[in-house]
Amino acid sequence: MTTVSRSWGNMTTTGKVVVPLLLLVLVLGPIATVAIGSWIGPWIVGLASANLPIVRFLVAVTGVLLFSIPTAFIIIYMELKVIAFMNLRVGPDRVGPAGAAHSVVAGLKVLSKEDFSPNAADRTVFTWAPVLVFLTSVMTFLILPFGPDLVGMKLNIGVLYLFSIGGMTVVGLLLAGWSSFNKYSLLGGLRAAAQVVSYEIPLTLSVVGLILLAGTMNVYTLGLQQSGWFTNWYVFRQPLGALIFFIASIAEANRTPFDLTEADSEIVAGFATEYSGMRFGFLFFAEYVNVFLVSALITTFFFGAWNAPVDINAILGFFNIAPITISFELGTLGIALLIAIAVLPLILTLALAAPFYFGKTQRPAWQALVIGFILFNLVGIGILGLIAYVNVPWIAGITWFFLKAFAFVFVFVWMRGTFPRVRIDQLMGFAWKWLLPAALLNLFVTAAAIIVVKSL
Amino acid sequence: MTASNHHQPHLSSDDPRIMLDGEIGQFESVPPYPPRTEREAEFYSLRDGEMFLNMGPQHPSTHGVLRVVLKINGERVVDLDPVLGYLHRGVEKLCENSDYHHIISQVDPLEYVSSLFTEWAPVMAFEKLLDVTVPRRAEYIRVLTGELLRVSSHALYQGWMALDLGGLAPILYSFIERDEIVEMLAAITGQRMLFNYFRIGGVNGDLNHEFMSRLGDWMSRALKEHETNIGLLNENEIFVRRMRGIGRVDRDMALKMAVTGPNIRAAGVPFDVRRAHPYSVYPELDFNIPVRGSNGGGDSLDRYLLRLDEVRESLKIIDQCLHNMPDGPIMARLPRLLRPRPGRAWAAVEAPRGLYGTYAISDGTDQPFRMKIHDPSFVNMQLVGQLMKNNLIADTMAVMASLDPVMGGIDK
Repeated sequence: MTTVSRSWGNMTTTGKVVVPLLLLVLVLGPIATVAIGSWIGPWIVGLASANLPIVRFLVAVTGVLLFSIPTAFIIIYMELKVIAFMNLRVGPDRVGPAGAAHSVVAGLKVLSKEDFSPNAADRTVFTWAPVLVFLTSVMTFLILPFGPDLVGMKLNIGVLYLFSIGGMTVVGLLLAGWSSFNKYSLLGGLRAAAQVVSYEIPLTLSVVGLILLAGTMNVYTLGLQQSGWFTNWYVFRQPLGALIFFIASIAEANRTPFDLTEADSEIVAGFATEYSGMRFGFLFFAEYVNVFLVSALITTFFFGAWNAPVDINAILGFFNIAPITISFELGTLGIALLIAIAVLPLILTLALAAPFYFGKTQRPAWQALVIGFILFNLVGIGILGLIAYVNVPWIAGITWFFLKAFAFVFVFVWMRGTFPRVRIDQLMGFAWKWLLPAALLNLFVTAAAIIVVKSL
Repeated sequence: MTASNHHQPHLSSDDPRIMLDGEIGQFESVPPYPPRTEREAEFYSLRDGEMFLNMGPQHPSTHGVLRVVLKINGERVVDLDPVLGYLHRGVEKLCENSDYHHIISQVDPLEYVSSLFTEWAPVMAFEKLLDVTVPRRAEYIRVLTGELLRVSSHALYQGWMALDLGGLAPILYSFIERDEIVEMLAAITGQRMLFNYFRIGGVNGDLNHEFMSRLGDWMSRALKEHETNIGLLNENEIFVRRMRGIGRVDRDMALKMAVTGPNIRAAGVPFDVRRAHPYSVYPELDFNIPVRGSNGGGDSLDRYLLRLDEVRESLKIIDQCLHNMPDGPIMARLPRLLRPRPGRAWAAVEAPRGLYGTYAISDGTDQPFRMKIHDPSFVNMQLVGQLMKNNLIADTMAVMASLDPVMGGIDK
């Protein structure tokens, strides 16, 4: 008994939650499986089919939550590596191939660290502020249109939802700064409040012109309207709006050159100074989730959402070719399908391995086989991906969406490696003296243009 | 035991709350003693809306262990109180208890970014006490290595400047430059940082093949790389706007505060020890004293740009040293144990941060009776109080970094 109580005493708070839960799952799991299979299952299916929108919402929320963490991991790794190359360094290269698993391990490290909070901190607020910051960032993912029909909710007030939820991030940052009982944190929190609130205005106003043009606040419809050639993208009709949105969103995401809230050379780490362990992890992830979010928003609003820049069907139509669809019924192959599944991988692997075994490099057989297997997988994934790209619209959509969004993420990382930081008075002056008038000008010009065009 | 338990009867010894002794207000950075001067009494009383921000000694950008107590009102610095001494080791006293040869290694870590200059001034003072003539080749080697180190120090300054303003890239580029030079000097001195190279009457080792090949390699691209590194920052609008008009030092203030080095030249005063009080072989060399800032004085940007100008002049000097380097011995003939006649001597060199001087009094023994080290960082640091006032918190970094202090020399 002493062993149990001692290990219980040594456990962190996270451990004290996870271990009983694990035991509970181990005991209740089998019982629950039987119960669900026998009578709860049909009941749930019935309930779900009766309340489809709620189920859809829950699935979307879970998907978004699960999706946000890997995205943050990828961006963290990307930032480390890209800035390293810009600084003539190697960057992370220890964990995984070329350090690819570095950010995952860093995340695990953050989980295992002590969950410290200062003596004089307001414990409740201190604990919940990072959660609020993280959740508000993740909640906005709900309306991002990743592809045709691949969207959490087709809200008809999507843009409004976006800015109202996005504006709540600042509450979390302010609470984090205030509750830490640290003057650097306080300054960071107040800077965050001043900065985010100021830049919220040009950010929102820059999209109003777009909404006037589109006639909708549904983000999914905005994506639909930009289909076809890249000239349909709103950036060509709202260039000033796109520019203002880009600049203001840098400030919204607290990124260089507007990263005053965590200016390490001035206020140590700003609102995150006193945070450690997973609470810091939440703040850290939220920053990168925000980076992806603003990149995705720029893509959605101004750069054609999930649409490819080239309208393939239009080109094909010009040459009088029917739209390409690669499809055949697997059933028609009959017994040949079985043989293909059994034999083709082997033959292909051997064929791809052969050049490395017999060729000039003269690798050992096992190395050649491993290389052949990897190549076979790559070829297979490539072929399947191509078929999927052509046949399944949302796969094509998600491909283009991520390509475009990560192009903007790269721009954010690039700026981080290049620019110094602006000063607080320059920051505020820029928002109120330049961005806001420019956004208003954009709005009025757009409105006037719409009236003129309609009256013609 | 019972008395201490009396105050916290219910707390065990590992309870973290035991540290929270008294009211929360005790976290304020007010000294735990009554004010000793009028200034202290005035500074440590807060008016409405003001608060103390204790910056340092473990702050990422106070260039070591400087502690600055800022009195701030929002983002604006109302007043400040620099607190020195966190790195004080009593080097002057150590020197008074070491023999003349050992002093060279004692003073090395003072200004650790450019430690050859901290050796140069005492060595020159002792040579005056001993009335030694240094061989010309040794003098040329001193100038050559010194100017190399000046380039490295200014390159580092450029990187730190950017880092304190939030730019990540330039520090790594300037460390490439510094590493080249440091490796070069390591080839002749055996050390990368605290060289312990100059000796009374000469230098410790002659130039060798590795040094010369590295130097030739570096000289062929030094100017080009310097221009490249400049291009990272000088035309950056954010950087220029952060630096321009901040921390303006006018000519009178600079003279009154006894500022030296690039900081006074950036305020429009062409004072350089190499020309004003020529020493070593500098009179034979052809170089300019770059001056920036008009009579109105110079700001942070001027101080930054002036150091870049100096790098070009240093490269010119290095080139001339290589072409004029005479043959001959590198050490004067001196006894092992040095006992200078009683007397006093002052010697000063132009270090990358300004006039670096040493005043030594000999009483006829093998140890100096008194040794005073004049460090330029300490003098330049006095400006901080004047320059940071009524600026923003972010500007304190721009100002402090532009003055280029090294805490090792300030605290001694």
